[in-house]
Amino acid sequence: MDNDRRRILRFLGKGSVLAAFVAQLGAAGRAFFPNVLYEPPSRFKLKRPDDYPDGYTFDAANRLFVIKQGPSFHVISAICTHLGCTVQWKDTEFDCPCHGSRFRPDGTVISGPAPRPLEWLSTMLSPDGFLQVDSGIEVARGFQLVVGKGKA
Amino acid sequence: MAERKESIEARDFGWMVAMSFVFFALVAYGLYREFRTEWRPYQTQFVALLGHYGHADDAASFHPGIHQIWNPKIGVTDRCITCHLGYEWSSILPATIAEPLTPHSTNDWLAKHEFAKFGCTPCHGGDGWAVTAEGAHIGGKGWEDPLLSSALAASNGLTMNEMMQMRCNFCHRHDAATPGMEMINLGKQLYKKKKCVLCHVVEGRGGSTGPELTYFGDKNPELLNFAYVTGPRTMFNWNVQHVTHAGVVSPKTQMPDFNFEPQQARALTLLLLSWRRLSYPAEYIPDPDAAVAAMATPSPSPAATPSAAPSPVGAH
Amino acid sequence: MIDYLTRLWRKASWSWSPESDRESSEAIVRNLWLHWFPAKVARASIDWSYSFWLGTASASLLLILTVTGVMLMFFYVPSTERAYGSIKDLEYAVSFGRLLRNQHRWAAEGMVAVVFLHMARVFFTGAYRGSRAANWVVGIVLFLATLLLSFTGYLLPWDQLAFWAITVGTSIAKQAPMVGPTIQMALLGGHEIGQQTLLRFYVLHVFFLPAFIWIMFAYHMWRVRKDGGLAAVERVRNERAMAPKATPTTKSYSLFGLTPGTSVQVMSSTGLEEQDQVFSSPNVTRRLALVFLIVFNVTLVAALLFDAPLEGIANPAVTPNPAKAPWYFVWLQELVASTTVHLGPLVVSGAFLGGILIPGFLLIILTLWPWLDRTPLTSEGRWFPPARKRQNATFLAATFAIVVLIIIGVYLRGPYWHIYWPGQPRPTAPRLY
Repeated sequence: MDNDRRRILRFLGKGSVLAAFVAQLGAAGRAFFPNVLYEPPSRFKLKRPDDYPDGYTFDAANRLFVIKQGPSFHVISAICTHLGCTVQWKDTEFDCPCHGSRFRPDGTVISGPAPRPLEWLSTMLSPDGFLQVDSGIEVARGFQLVVGKGKA
Repeated sequence: MAERKESIEARDFGWMVAMSFVFFALVAYGLYREFRTEWRPYQTQFVALLGHYGHADDAASFHPGIHQIWNPKIGVTDRCITCHLGYEWSSILPATIAEPLTPHSTNDWLAKHEFAKFGCTPCHGGDGWAVTAEGAHIGGKGWEDPLLSSALAASNGLTMNEMMQMRCNFCHRHDAATPGMEMINLGKQLYKKKKCVLCHVVEGRGGSTGPELTYFGDKNPELLNFAYVTGPRTMFNWNVQHVTHAGVVSPKTQMPDFNFEPQQARALTLLLLSWRRLSYPAEYIPDPDAAVAAMATPSPSPAATPSAAPSPVGAH
Repeated sequence: MIDYLTRLWRKASWSWSPESDRESSEAIVRNLWLHWFPAKVARASIDWSYSFWLGTASASLLLILTVTGVMLMFFYVPSTERAYGSIKDLEYAVSFGRLLRNQHRWAAEGMVAVVFLHMARVFFTGAYRGSRAANWVVGIVLFLATLLLSFTGYLLPWDQLAFWAITVGTSIAKQAPMVGPTIQMALLGGHEIGQQTLLRFYVLHVFFLPAFIWIMFAYHMWRVRKDGGLAAVERVRNERAMAPKATPTTKSYSLFGLTPGTSVQVMSSTGLEEQDQVFSSPNVTRRLALVFLIVFNVTLVAALLFDAPLEGIANPAVTPNPAKAPWYFVWLQELVASTTVHLGPLVVSGAFLGGILIPGFLLIILTLWPWLDRTPLTSEGRWFPPARKRQNATFLAATFAIVVLIIIGVYLRGPYWHIYWPGQPRPTAPRLY
């Protein structure tokens, strides 16, 4: 009886240590996944809708174009899908200065080495009334954010 | 021999088992404590709130965890928004919602001081790194920069709005006058009128009769003489009394007794305490001429009249 | 399947729980971790009441500090602009960061105390005689390395507590005659504590001193084997030598753990009887694991209950009132503050007298004591033998004096270094608003 109890206690004891040790390893591993990122957030605010003129506005800091048509907005990424250079708007098309890719106003490829069209980025209105972009979420070509009447 | 060997094992066995269980219990408690954070319940409440006010999409896409506004240009890492989640929802959530979910009150200058560009602590003080209420609002031992709450302001005879103007002046130091900073404007007027610069060097110019005041806000409060000061032993209180009756607070001084009104003394003290060694990037320093132009055409804000209006910036 | 797994488990772990004398002996030869142990040790040397396993406790703390320290290195930044923020991040933004930092801090403070207690135990039991004198000196070196590790780590948070404690500490070092200013320049990397100081202290703390202490620890252990084990074996051997014996007991004693037999037999190198010895595996290993578990639990409890201090960011322009050295040096600060001597026009600075001369003298006496000890060798390996009364009393008195000074320095000294008794109100430092 005594021996059995010892066996059970020994098993429980070793089990406790093992479980706690594994939990500690898990905790140590968890610590390596940051809870805060010292990076510009993927979701960020631009200016207020009224601050943008109609047409194509280049945002150099965020590497994107804000396109406004009356109350409608959409955002196209200025990052060339070839090797990541910033494309330039030339009134009728986007030109990439690095390897000559050319894109239509809606981002689709006219010519050059770019494999995919320019990305349309998810656009929304922030609760306090700023245009807000989530650069991690791509939306379909043709997406429009209509300001003043809710999302399209 | 065998029984003695066993007795060593027997004696150790009990301790081994006990310590193993204690180890397990301690690690379990450590894990529990790590997940039972102060902010988690507030975030759950906030998500429910968003759903209640018809923003189910935003509620669904909410990421629980520590949220922060990070702006390395001005050295801001503000995690206040981990609990103060309603800050940008003033157009949808009512102001009557209890703290910490209360939306930030709207005022004229908030539009010019966007959250992403300024964070929270440059205006409100406190410890932005912290994610507990006490840690963020009061800070640990020796934290010199507590949250400028109504209570703290009241203990200095001020409203929260008035006290915060001290921090506005960190950037607006070189404005002749700024709309919304009535106390500081008053302080600057008095500073000019009483010609402090005749005896004190400020920003490289002035007389050497008295000590340099360029960075008065950084002075060590322990170096002040509180022997003749009544009331709380704070630099604020010392300065209010010193600037009003210099001869009483510093008996051998050459500084004249200016006999200021209490509000004037407090305005001047706020100004002096705002003078600190801080440097901000050029785009943060306001154009002094723009401020003067704005003063010429006052905005119809209730805060334009000094001291009569209740504090428009949040209710604590 | 279960049977297969059980056999596999047995194959991997047999050396940790040997089931026969042969397995016990083989364990120390075939397991890398156990190779330091002899096959058998004297039972007296594993008594709790002999050594209190303080040496093992010190080593456990060193291991805990090394592991938690390496974890902390992934988050701490040794830059004057970013150090403080990285500690704040550990406190608030890193999962388990607060626990990690707390455990490191309390293990560090605990290690200074436990290493001292271990040294006191070795002194009181006279376990530094004869061949053990070399290991005593190695132990002193380890103790100094522990103090230095604690001191260099103290600066790293770059808060007011850290900055001014190191200011006080390095100013005392500067008082050493002739070499003082040179030492201070080398320590600080300048005349003031700044980025260069932080970097030096960081490299000393995370690389140089840990490497040094682990190597010296290995040498310390090697010397224990060379000296034949703990000094308790001397006591046992003396007792056996004094007891009447019929025939000399011999047994073959070799690395291969052969049991007594009829082949060539050699005089036992330890001179101990069978009945005085137990197998290292599992008796020593089990207690070792137990001591480690106890020590770990104590540091974890401390980490869960008490937060490591963090004051405002270091501000060279504002000296806190009072500014205190870490507790293990505050007794030096007390001496420094009270030993300034005026001999007419000549002033002997307290920093020199109390900070260099007195502790230097104590350290030299302590280090050379094995060669100054005149008591008979029969008194070693036991607690408070009458022959050692005077020196034990002196050591105890000196320790008591140091502890009293520490208590005064930590608890009774207030602003301007005045004494404030418990219950007596202290002037609070004025605040900004």
